[in-house]
Parts: sequence; C-alpha cells; structure tokens
Amino acid sequence: MLIRILLCYIFGYIRVSVEGYYIEKLINICTNKKIVIWHLKRDKNVKLYFNIATQDFKQIVKIAKKLQCHVKIEKKKGLPFLLHRYHKRKIFAIVAICILAGVVGLSHFIWNVEIQEESGQELEGIYQDVVEAGLATGTLKAKIDTKGIINQVRLKRQDIAWMGIELKGTNAIVRIVKADSKPEIIDETEYCSIVSDKEGVITKINAQNGTMNVKVGDTVSHGTILINGWIEGKYTGIRYVHARGEIEAKVWHTKNIFIPYTSTETRETGNFQNFYSIKFHNFEINLPKRLSKFKIYDTIESEKKIRLFSDFYLPISVKKTTQKELEEQQKTYQAEEAKSIGKQQLEQELEAEIEDKSKIVNKYSNTYEKEDGVEIYVTYEVLETIGTNEKIVF
Amino acid sequence: MKKNHFRKIDKILEIPKEVYSNEVKITIVGFEEIVIENYQGILEYEEYFVRIKTYTGIVNLNGYGFNLENLSNDDIKVTGKIEGIEIERLVEEEHVN
Repeated sequence: MLIRILLCYIFGYIRVSVEGYYIEKLINICTNKKIVIWHLKRDKNVKLYFNIATQDFKQIVKIAKKLQCHVKIEKKKGLPFLLHRYHKRKIFAIVAICILAGVVGLSHFIWNVEIQEESGQELEGIYQDVVEAGLATGTLKAKIDTKGIINQVRLKRQDIAWMGIELKGTNAIVRIVKADSKPEIIDETEYCSIVSDKEGVITKINAQNGTMNVKVGDTVSHGTILINGWIEGKYTGIRYVHARGEIEAKVWHTKNIFIPYTSTETRETGNFQNFYSIKFHNFEINLPKRLSKFKIYDTIESEKKIRLFSDFYLPISVKKTTQKELEEQQKTYQAEEAKSIGKQQLEQELEAEIEDKSKIVNKYSNTYEKEDGVEIYVTYEVLETIGTNEKIVF
Repeated sequence: MKKNHFRKIDKILEIPKEVYSNEVKITIVGFEEIVIENYQGILEYEEYFVRIKTYTGIVNLNGYGFNLENLSNDDIKVTGKIEGIEIERLVEEEHVN
C-alpha cells in the first residue's frame, strides 16, 4: 500500500475534488475495484478531495459520471508533471546536465595531494618526489598505482620508514612515517681508529685498545686521529685492532653578533587588508581592489582549494593575500645597553645549543666597540666526549 | 464443524484473530488517529462524523476535521480530533447465521 503510494510520487498523481451526493458510494466502489486513493478530505458537505494515480483517473471519471458527481482536477504532482513544466526551458536543462556531467567527470581525477607526516617531522622535497612518481594533481584516479608509487618513492628516499596512499574522493592523502637516521656502525671485527669530530683541547684520554696519538693538553681539530687502530709490539710487529677508548676534551662554542647603535625596527600596526583571487591551475583571476593603501607592508599568501564535500576537491582554489601594515621606528642604544642586549641574546642561543649544562666550564665574552655599533663575542667552554670510529682502509 | 476445527488449530498456533476471521480490530493511537481493520465499507463520511460498516457491526466516530488517510481493501486509517466512538452491534440472529 505504502509502496504503491510512493510509486505514485514517481509516476505522478493528481489531487482531485469530487462534488455530489453519493460520495461514500464512490469511495466504496474505489476500494472494491482496488483503485488506490489516499489523503481523503471532506470539505463542507458536498465536496471531497483525494489523491489518485494518473492512470486511474479515467476510471474515476467513469464512476463519477454514473453517480452524477462532478470531478475537477485541483493539482498535478509528481515527477512527470515537474519535468513537463521544465521541458520548454532547454538551456536550463542543458546547463543542469552539463553541471552534473562536470561533477561526475571531475570526480574521476585527483585534485589535491595532502601529505601527512607522522608527529610533525618534515621531509624535504617529499611533495616533489611524490609528484614525480605519478601522483600529481589532475591525474586520473584509475591510472594511479598506489603500490608502484610507494615503491618508487621508497626506493628513491632512504628516510622513509613507512608510506601509505589513500584516495578519498578527489583527495589523495599520503601518510609518511620518517625513519630515524642511524649512525654507521662499524663491525667489532673490523679494524678502525678513533678520529676527532670537534675542535678542542684534550683533557682526558684513555685508550682501551689501540695506541694513543695525542696527549692531554693537545689541541685537536676536526679529523685528527686520537687513537690509532694498531698496536706495535717489540716482537709481534704492527698488529691492527678495533680501537676503543674514551676521550674528553674542552670544546669551544663561540657566537658573535653586531649590534648597531641606531637601528630601525619595523612593527605591525594591526591594520590589514585582504585581497582575493581565483586560481585555476596556472591561470589566475584577480578580484578587484588591487592597489595597497599602505606604504610599508608585509604580504602573506595563503591558498585554499574549493571543495564540494569533505573530500571532493575541485581544481579551483581561492588565493588570499593579506597585507599587514608596518611601522618603522628608529631606536638608539647606549654602548652599555647594546652590550648587555647582545650578550643576553648570544647566551640564550648558546644555551639552547648545549644539551648538558652541567658540563659548562667557562664563559667568556669579548666586546669590540666600533664607530657605529658593538661587536660581541661569547664563548662557552664545555667538556664533551669526542671521537668517532673510522675504518682503516688499506 | 470443519470451521471450528480450523479455529482450534489457529488458536493453538496463536494466529491473530483478525487474520483468520472477520473480527474487527480497532486501534486508537493517541486521540487523533484510529485504524480499523477488517472493515466492509464506508456508510457515511462527513468532516465531523464517520460511519464505517464492519462484519460484526457499525462503528461511528464523532469529532471534527476527519481525514481518511489510507484506504485499502481491509483496513482504513482515520485521522482527526476524535471525541467519541460508538459501536452498533448487528442483531444476534444475523451473526449466528
């Protein structure tokens, strides 16, 4: 019953009004003949409204004639009548079909490549590699071979632990987990010597295996051999070993900065202006209002892709250019003021660099006053263990 | 006799009464909707009064704003403000026959 009514919505139905004396009889005849009528409403005494399927309307007219009732069509409803109403509007129909075809057609392409890196670690040039492997915007979804792309990118790059591609709508989500770079491990059985990797003065040296090459107090630079990977015996001659040992050295961390006495600082005033433009691939349409009203300003550009639904991106994007007004301010420092500012800044930078602060032995700072400013040098002396293994090549 | 026999089986199987007999079933949902199953026909239909014939008698509905929402061969759904339901039994003799 309900399904038949629902079908009538698709195939069209008519709201009919019947006027006459034998209305109850008409209803009973309809139920006996299995003509579906619904939403019957009695208006005043002689009128009855009801819905009937279009194909049953002729029968109703016949029955009404017998019962001397007057039948009038009030409203035509349903899909066929709706289409009939629009059948003269050809352009409307064509545009509607074009839009539908366009949306269906566009949904077969990839219009956005989103790269998600695990825990916010950034991989340089990964987007370029993914595009080169074949996952570029504008490629057919059916032609994308996700496994092939993953293999190609992973072969090319060493720093990827895992990679996955998910195609969602017109959006391709590339998930990447970065691999931790591991130091080159030299096998225990291979011969190696220990080489300095920093500049400094040796404070402690202790060779467990091999021959010491430097003494305490020696200054070493990058690449100096600290422990040689051989042992020389009186009777055995030179015997190569896997050098092992602990070397501690004073390492200097130096930073310098130049602070001028007079400087111009730029500051944001808080005023900003937004410009919008529509971008389609490489083609850009500027919306009006292009000239900036500010003298000095910063421009920040952001691009947003238009999407129909959550993952249905379109190849059109809106570019937003924000111009922030800046203000120039002249600042003058006294010599002492400049020194303390520079020193503070350098100390902060150095302390961020050094991991273990308890190993800091000494702090030096030198200042050189010049005509237009001060040059400041800050040096930290830090005790560090130095040395890396280097294979002996014969 | 045969009919009675069938009725016993139906009772054992707990088949609803309105399915195997012509007994009328009236369901009232709230005060504004009434469904009558196993009806025979509509005797009178006005906005304020509906008279429905069933196999065991006549059901009169009083109220206002009555609409007949669904009509099918066996059941009828009436909506509107119902104020009273009256039942007119058919004469006993007729029922027995």
